[in-house]
Amino acid sequence: MKQFIVFLFFIQICNLHYAQQSKVLNAYVTKLNSVKDYSVNAKIVAAVPMIKIKEVNAIIYFKQKDKFKIETKGIAVLPKQGFLDLNKFLATPSKYMAIESAGKEISGVQTTMVTVIPIDESTDVILAKLWIDSKRNIIMTSQLTTKSSGMLTTTYAYADQIPFGLPSSLVFEIDVKKFKMPKSVAANIHQTNKSTNNNKDQKGKITVYLTGYKVNKGLSDSIFK
Amino acid sequence: MMFFKNTYNEFIKIAAKPRSYIGLIALSVLIAVIIFAMKADGSTYISFVTASFEQTLSFSGDIMNGNLIAFIILQMLIVHIPLLVALVTGDLISGEANMGTIRMLASKPISRSQIVLSKFTAGALYTLLLTIWLGFLSLYVARWIFGTGDLMVLTSDGLIIHPESDIEWRYIYGFLTAYLSLLTVSTLSICLSAFAENSIGPIVSTMAIIILFTIIGTMDVTVFDTIKPYLFTTHMAAWRSYFEDPVPWDAINESIRILIYHNVILVAIALFQFNRKDITS
Amino acid sequence: MQNTPIIEVNSISKTFGSFEAVKDVSFQVNQGDVFGFLGPNGAGKSTTIRCLLSLIRPNTGQIKLFGKTFTSNRAMILSKIGSIIEKPDFYKYLSAQKNLEIFARISGAQVSKKQIYEMLEFVGLSGREKHRVKGFSHGMKQRLGIAQTLLHKPDLIILDEPTTGLDPQGIIEIRNLILRLKTEQNKTILLSSHQLSEIELIANRMVIINKGKTLVEGTVSELLNQQEVLIVLDVDSADKAMALIKDRFPSSFPELNVRGQIELTLRKNQTASLNRELNKAEIAVSALEPKRKLEDFFIKIIGS
Repeated sequence: MKQFIVFLFFIQICNLHYAQQSKVLNAYVTKLNSVKDYSVNAKIVAAVPMIKIKEVNAIIYFKQKDKFKIETKGIAVLPKQGFLDLNKFLATPSKYMAIESAGKEISGVQTTMVTVIPIDESTDVILAKLWIDSKRNIIMTSQLTTKSSGMLTTTYAYADQIPFGLPSSLVFEIDVKKFKMPKSVAANIHQTNKSTNNNKDQKGKITVYLTGYKVNKGLSDSIFK
Repeated sequence: MMFFKNTYNEFIKIAAKPRSYIGLIALSVLIAVIIFAMKADGSTYISFVTASFEQTLSFSGDIMNGNLIAFIILQMLIVHIPLLVALVTGDLISGEANMGTIRMLASKPISRSQIVLSKFTAGALYTLLLTIWLGFLSLYVARWIFGTGDLMVLTSDGLIIHPESDIEWRYIYGFLTAYLSLLTVSTLSICLSAFAENSIGPIVSTMAIIILFTIIGTMDVTVFDTIKPYLFTTHMAAWRSYFEDPVPWDAINESIRILIYHNVILVAIALFQFNRKDITS
Repeated sequence: MQNTPIIEVNSISKTFGSFEAVKDVSFQVNQGDVFGFLGPNGAGKSTTIRCLLSLIRPNTGQIKLFGKTFTSNRAMILSKIGSIIEKPDFYKYLSAQKNLEIFARISGAQVSKKQIYEMLEFVGLSGREKHRVKGFSHGMKQRLGIAQTLLHKPDLIILDEPTTGLDPQGIIEIRNLILRLKTEQNKTILLSSHQLSEIELIANRMVIINKGKTLVEGTVSELLNQQEVLIVLDVDSADKAMALIKDRFPSSFPELNVRGQIELTLRKNQTASLNRELNKAEIAVSALEPKRKLEDFFIKIIGS
């Protein structure tokens, strides 16, 4: 039994060593880094329990290394760990270990699953799982677990920006935990029955449709101010 | 004709009374205080509202805008404005009895019903003026200071975010319904005023009734459940319903109906009382 | 025309709870009368006047003004009446002019600003038009009350205690004003007052009420002439005079007072014959003073 455990540990160490040089992830990161800047029109559709919001149009700006801005005319709801966090985390391979394994089939594409574990304990990310289409070097699904916000699953769809690895839509699935309404604020005269607030965790979904990418056009820094 | 002439008289009297301006000044000061507080520390208020969601979600865009400020002001002040209304309207009949002018008025060739109705009309106009002033300060001044934008409202069903383009009509209907609530307060105080011969009695009685009904309305006791829907105070927050999604039209219509019934009944009581009253003051 | 009744009050009564303010009051005021409405405090004068102005509804009895009842003619009747009830009260926070404008607007007549200025001048308040009533003295308010009463040129003027609280000068001013209204404008005036001398000086007819009941009604001259007067007699020989009076005027109950004067009661028309008899008996009369006037009559009536 002891021998078996030692064997498993050995295998694991070997795997980790191999994963740190994950070709699949490296190829993706290389592709990611080829995008110096972009702007894109976004349509944000949120279906989150206890939040009613109509679809919102926005313009998203990004510039290497970590400049990011969402310009909305009104109020938009997005996952707390949204667009940038995963890419920002992946952009520095020295800060994590990556383990490749066989992934599942997503939208008819066989993926490779890459499990990313941070080396630096100070980072907010606990674990990231990526299902990558190794042929096109694009993420099909990601699952990011952070200390502050729990788990966020993102499903990607692509159109004409595949060469840059930029998606045409993102579907964020979030855990909505026990929203508590302050009673004084939420007093409702027409609510004759007791509040039906669900205290159980529920799933929320935020879909962002991205169109009209303008990639590497040299965005000015002033946009991000 | 005599009715219009006396209504004009009533408005001159209201305009000349210093107490009529207390409401407008108090409203201005209260709104200025709220605007100042929100300008200085609005983010704390916002995080109080969004705290439950902030662990997993982030809100982008300008939440603290004029539309939200107007909503906050309305929510905070709708409880206190009845006092400002009653301060003027509670004095309309009893004040004349107190001053002795009622016998001068009632010995003129104008019917007592016309006297009472013109007082109700003047009271309604004053209440309208107060509501318009409230609307102007809370909506237009707040928008001028904070800018405009989508409106985030917290209801018992959760957060509702109304796009900017979908707000104006809600505020118009909201203010109209709030006006109907305040009109009920005005009508109640004038009705009580028909029974009294001093100024302070109807004002205090109006507030006492509002406080009593509000307490009954908020107590979670089944014995009051049957009367709660018929208390006008239950429907004083009906303006908020326009900010729900979907708008509960049936409930709003019910609130409007009950408020109108109150107004009609209170006017009828005042007419009956004032017509049968011997003027001995 | 002079006997056209303007006010007809027939047996009205009014109770407030268990208190009977007016039990049985009847009188009639004719066109052109200055009608004195007399009675002690609490007699029911103000209640009766309030009934005349539809401020109070009598429980029983009937009131007709200009030949009509209030039932369907209230506005018409009140448009012809100008009144001050007790003291004139105004909107203190408004100016004299604004107050008059307010009452003029609902008086049933078209009253111009010029007329308001003229009326203020008539009552001696010109120059105070824009002043708030708050700062007016009682006399000024009383005069403003008169202005308010006359503004719409009423046919009937009802003045309830119009000189209460006024200084002697003010009382004379109001009295002269009432006389001018009668002589120059031939107004019908109902004047309630406890200044009995005033009624005697101004009124041509009067009614006295007490404890809510009419005691007597008639012309002032008739009522006063009918009545006995108290004569105070100062003579050189009191004993001789006493004997003569007891003989000739046995029901006059002569008495000597502390100053040695003889006091006796006579009918007013007997005064001259008393003087004649004393002269005939060669008793020197240094003073013959009829003391009993309306006050005494009033007290006697009330006392009875």
